Amino acid sequence: MLLEAHQVSRAFGSFLALSGAELELAEGEIVGLIGPNGAGKSTFFNCLSGDLQPTSGRILFAGSEVTRATPEAHARLGIGRTFQVPATFEEMSILDNVMVGAFLRHPARGEAREAARRIVEFAGLDRLRDQPARSLGTPGRKRLEIARVLASEPRLILLDEALAGLNPVEIQEAIALVRRIHARGITLVIVEHIMEVILSLTGRVLVFNQGRTIASGKPRDIVDHPAVIEAYLGQRRQRRRRE
Amino acid sequence: MSKRLAPAPTLSRKREREVCKVLACGNGFRRSSEQGKGGIFRSGLAAYPVILLQIIAGGLLLGAVYALFSAGLSLIWGMMNVINFAHGEFVMIGMYVAFLVVTALNGGPVAFAPAAAAFLFLLGVVVYFGLIRHIIRGPMIAQILSTFGLALLLRYVTFWLFSANFRTLPDNLIPGTVDLGGVLLGMPQLVAGGAAFVLTIGAHLLLTRTALGSRLLAVAEDRSAAMLMGIRPDRMQALAWGLSAAGAGIAGALIATFYPFSPGVGETFALTAFVVVALGGFGSIPGALVAGLLIGVIQSLSAYAFGPVYKDVVVYALFVAILWVRPQGLMGKLV
Amino acid sequence: MRWGWLAIAVALLLYPWILTGPFYERMGADLLLAAIAAAAWNILGGYAGQISVGHAVFYGIGAYVPLLVYTHWQLPPVLGIPAGILVSLAVAAVIGVPTFRLQGHYFSMATIAVAELVRIVVGNWDFVGAAIGLMGPAVPRSLLDLSFKSAVPYYYIFLAVLAAILALTAHLERGRMGYYWRAIRAGERAARSLGVPVRRYKLWALLLSAGFTSLAGSLYALMVGFVDPESAFGILVSVEMIITAALGGVGTLLGPLLGAAILVPLKATTNSLFGGGGSGLTYILYGGIILLLARFEPGGLIELSRRIATRSLKKAKARAA
Ligand SMILES: Nc1ncnc2c1ncn2[C@@H]1O[C@H](COP(=O)(O)OP(=O)(O)O)[C@@H](O)[C@H]1O
Ligand SMILES: [Mg+2]
Repeated sequence: MLLEAHQVSRAFGSFLALSGAELELAEGEIVGLIGPNGAGKSTFFNCLSGDLQPTSGRILFAGSEVTRATPEAHARLGIGRTFQVPATFEEMSILDNVMVGAFLRHPARGEAREAARRIVEFAGLDRLRDQPARSLGTPGRKRLEIARVLASEPRLILLDEALAGLNPVEIQEAIALVRRIHARGITLVIVEHIMEVILSLTGRVLVFNQGRTIASGKPRDIVDHPAVIEAYLGQRRQRRRRE
Repeated sequence: MSKRLAPAPTLSRKREREVCKVLACGNGFRRSSEQGKGGIFRSGLAAYPVILLQIIAGGLLLGAVYALFSAGLSLIWGMMNVINFAHGEFVMIGMYVAFLVVTALNGGPVAFAPAAAAFLFLLGVVVYFGLIRHIIRGPMIAQILSTFGLALLLRYVTFWLFSANFRTLPDNLIPGTVDLGGVLLGMPQLVAGGAAFVLTIGAHLLLTRTALGSRLLAVAEDRSAAMLMGIRPDRMQALAWGLSAAGAGIAGALIATFYPFSPGVGETFALTAFVVVALGGFGSIPGALVAGLLIGVIQSLSAYAFGPVYKDVVVYALFVAILWVRPQGLMGKLV
Repeated sequence: MRWGWLAIAVALLLYPWILTGPFYERMGADLLLAAIAAAAWNILGGYAGQISVGHAVFYGIGAYVPLLVYTHWQLPPVLGIPAGILVSLAVAAVIGVPTFRLQGHYFSMATIAVAELVRIVVGNWDFVGAAIGLMGPAVPRSLLDLSFKSAVPYYYIFLAVLAAILALTAHLERGRMGYYWRAIRAGERAARSLGVPVRRYKLWALLLSAGFTSLAGSLYALMVGFVDPESAFGILVSVEMIITAALGGVGTLLGPLLGAAILVPLKATTNSLFGGGGSGLTYILYGGIILLLARFEPGGLIELSRRIATRSLKKAKARAA
């Protein structure tokens, strides 16, 4: 197993955002993580990447315990992630953003630059290479985040709604990019709301609701699962009520 | 009670004089001559336990005032995650408002405390709309330098208007002394400490028990959720700045009755407030109250133990120590 | 770009030959000293984005220790420079180690608290001259005392030091250190997710910055031959470093020099126009400038000119099209 998360819980004050999440990930998989807003998906990612300490539970990566390790230690070990709200380095150029990632494995400037150039090209951002990150729109920022984390040469990437807010053409491009990343031998966990993306990319899906795993299995079966429909419909009903 | 007790033998003459200075005005340096000759020692306060009580009482009264102005800093910090480096200058301006009301309009505390509150409330709101609103989501450097620059500006404008001289308010604004079994407390200190205590509790009740308070806290908790509930965050944040500054203004006006001041005093107050908030936990008014009282007492005791000039040194060192050992403060977060 | 640097270097080298006389010579030395201190602050505040409002503590330590070794042991003041740097590094660690675990605000607050603490202690400690301060050698005993009547020798010493600091900064800026600093400034969370050991890199920036600020203080004491608590540890010392770097442009190589080139002559002018009373007005002006920069142009003049340049470039392109 590349990653094992056992009974991971996280509380904010008295509120349990995540309770007893389980995930076992084999090298080379693409796993989808779905669930309504507030289900705890980002919180789970934060725990898996060291950004938040789980209140309880254990996380192992490639056999070693990483439950309480810092985010930078996670990155060094090979767990990369993107953020739901893109956190690009706004004033830095796109190439420089990617170089920050590349420096992790290439301390020398020249090598880091070369590595970053290759990644920028791979991600299809070379035309914009010298623009500052702030000049990008949301789709561009999400792509830049992917490029940046790729440059840190991880074994596992956690993509948090990396395709949200993209138009259909951009979604197709992003799907192709994820496939090419996977083809490099990188394992992926994808949080995504668009079922089409989940269906076309993932081999296995986990469904979260209110901090718990309510279902898991093949994507085809999951879409018809009654608990999943209930979770999503319940949310839509709620949203209608709020409006 | 202690009249028959012999003076504590360890107390040197010099030390006695220092203590007297501290006690005479809580923290400042006034009236030492008058009281040095007079009452304090004759009533037997040179005796150790009473001196200790006197020091602690003085510290608590001053600490209540610290709590009042620190609560405002804490509110802003907890709500907007902005540190107001000009907060001490707000206190200082409160002192000068009192000074103006007394000298130009011949007013007393009943006039100048509300005047300081009103003036500082306005200043706080203006600062929010003119400055804070624009930097609140900006880079760190803008957040810190904006209020730091504001502090300089306010300090040196006051310096320019009033000169660097130390000012005092007339002695007889709040006349009298209260004798509690040998512990002598000046009326100015008692009034300031008491009023500050009540106002700080009041601020806490305002936040926790009123509709307005829950709206303020809702914005602190989650800006966008508050907006969905129909609260305008901008207004609430401006209000918080107004209230925070008004608290600082009243606090300044209250201690001006016994604390000599110059345009430079603000820095000390700002740093004191940082320590209080760091100790009490940011965003917590009860935390600020407890921490304020504690800091007041620690300051008084260290003024006694090491001499008045070191009272702030001890407090600042305590700040660094807190950061090393217990950065989350004594209590939790928000209210 | 390279030509621009060359022009600046030539201008700085020739300055004492062009503007002669004690007033201009001293102003030149003051300008370079301000640039050195601001460049030191800039490493931490500009590149790594950690805003110190109490850098006077390092400047003051640097200024005091050389005169202290002279006063108590009759050693040449220069020998106190490394000792001053060591003390500064220790103080920096006391501030940085705990606060760099926390949000940025705590660091800023701790810097001003420690600076005040040290200022008060120094002002009451007889060993370091208490409120009076310390004097250097009145008459140079040897060249090692680095005591000159004219400001010109200091000018060239300062120029060499400034060049060294800027060269080192330029070198770091291009390498991993510089990238990591800028990433930390832009967003610690994202930086950590990419493997940047944020705390360690912030500490590096602080130590470098504190060491160079200490050196700046030492150079000041060597030139002036006299220090007291206000001139070495006063809050205004920190203010001048901040405003010099911020006006020119934080996180840029040339910003501190540009800021000094504007502010030092400005201060000399206001002081000579308004006499001693001018200092109050100078600081009102400083406060106003800092506030306006923070509100409208946190990047300083260099960023402003860059923006104007790109805007006019775009306009020119639009016109051509
Ligand atoms: N830092 C935090 N403090 C308090 N509550 C949080 C925090 N982060 C997330 N939450 C809460 O935890 C719940 C799960 O959030 P999140 O993991 O972001 O959900 P998702 O990504 O599935 O939409 C939400 O109710 C959210 O409000
Ligand atoms: Mg999420």
